[in-house]
Amino acid sequence: MTPDSLFQIAGPIAMIGWAALALAPLAPKWADRIGGLAIPAILSVGYAAVILGYWWQGQGGFDSLANVMLLLSNPWMALAGWVHFLAFDLFIGGWITRQARRDGVPHLLVLPCLLLTFLFGPVGLILFLSMAAARRAFTLREIEA
Amino acid sequence: MTDATYSPPMPALTLRGALPALFGADPRLAVLGGMLLVSMIPTTLAMQIDPRLFQGESIWLKPLKFEFALAVYLLSLAFFARFLPAGMLDRRALRVFSAVVIVCVLGEMAWIGGAAMFGTASHFNLSSPVMEGIYGLMGLFAVTLTSASLIYGIAIWRNPAGLPDAALRLSVALGLGLTFLLTVIVAGYMSSQPGHLVGVPVTDARVPLMGWSREVGDLRLPHFLATHAMHVIPIGGYIAARFLPQVAALRAVWAISAGFVLVTGASFALAIMGLPVFPI
Repeated sequence: MTPDSLFQIAGPIAMIGWAALALAPLAPKWADRIGGLAIPAILSVGYAAVILGYWWQGQGGFDSLANVMLLLSNPWMALAGWVHFLAFDLFIGGWITRQARRDGVPHLLVLPCLLLTFLFGPVGLILFLSMAAARRAFTLREIEA
Repeated sequence: MTDATYSPPMPALTLRGALPALFGADPRLAVLGGMLLVSMIPTTLAMQIDPRLFQGESIWLKPLKFEFALAVYLLSLAFFARFLPAGMLDRRALRVFSAVVIVCVLGEMAWIGGAAMFGTASHFNLSSPVMEGIYGLMGLFAVTLTSASLIYGIAIWRNPAGLPDAALRLSVALGLGLTFLLTVIVAGYMSSQPGHLVGVPVTDARVPLMGWSREVGDLRLPHFLATHAMHVIPIGGYIAARFLPQVAALRAVWAISAGFVLVTGASFALAIMGLPVFPI
C-alpha cells in the first residue's frame, strides 16, 4: 500500500460521513452513528496505523515551523496529517449536527456551517459557535427552573 | 452481602448482556482486556501498510500476538473472578494490586509496541545500557502481571462458597497457580538466553500460525503451554467433575495437573536441548 492509494481511499470515506451529516434530518440517529462516530473512528484507526508504521521515518518535529514543514514533507506524515484533518473535521461536524438538533437550530442554517467545516475546519466551527451564541442572546428561552 | 458468589446482572442472551455476565466480576481487568482486543485493529492495519520486517516477519506481528495473548489472559482472570470471595476485589489492597497489574500490562505493550514502531527488538535487546535496563524492568513487570493468576488461584481455593464443587475448585486453583509457577520458570529461563530459539534454523520451517520452529528448540512452545495451564486444567476439571464421583474427580484433577506439568516439562527439556517438538 502506498500513501497515494490510502489518500485516494480516505477522501471518499470521509465524504460518506459528510453526506450522512448533510442528510441528518432524514435519519438523525444514523447520521450521528455514521458521520459523528463510525467514520471519524475508522479514519482515526487509519491514522493510528500510519503513525505506528511510519512515525520513525519522519524528520523534523513540532518545535518550529521549519521542523513541522520538514515533518510533513514525508509522504506518510503528510498522509497522516491529512487523515487527521479529515477525522477531526468530521467529528466536529458531527458535534455541530447534534448540538444544533438539541438547540432546535434549523438544518438550513446548519448546512453552511457543515460546508465550511468540511472545507476550512475552524471557520465552520466559529460560524456555528457565533450563530449559537447569537441565537442564545437574541431569542427568548423558556424559563429555566 | 452474605452470598459469596458473583451473580451475573442479567441472563446472557444478548451480546450486551453476555459480556458483563461472563467478565463483569472483575471489570477492571475485563475492560483492559477488551481495550487490548480493540487495539488489534490499528495494529493489524499497521501490519498491512508497514513493510518493515523483523527476523523475517512483520514487525507488527509481535505486538499483535501480545495484544491477543494478554487480552485472553486478562479476560480469563476476569471470568474466574466470579469465584473469588465476595467483596475481595473491592478491598483497598486488591484495588492497588489491580492498578499495579494494569500498569505492568500497559508498560509491556508500550515497550513491545514502541520497539516495533522504531523497528528494534524488545525482548533480548541488550544493544545499549538503556535497552538492557528496560528489558530487566519488563521482566519484573511480566512476573508481576503473571502473579495475578497465583493470587486469584489461592483466593479461589480458600473460598469454597464461591465454587462448591471441590474437584472443579481444585482444578481452577491448580490451573491458575501452575500458570504462574510454570510461566515464571520457563520465561525466566528464556530471558536468560540470547533468544527464543536454541539452535540455528536453516530452512525456517515453522508450525503454522503459532510460528514455532520445526528445526531447532523453541522456548516459546513451553511458555505457551505453561501459560495455558489456567485453561487446560480447569477444562479437565470441569469434565471430571461432571462425569466422575467426587473422590475420583479429585484424583483425576491431580492426574491431569501432573500430566500437564510433565508435558510442559518435556517440551521445555526438548527446547533446551535444541530439539523441535514437531520435527520436520
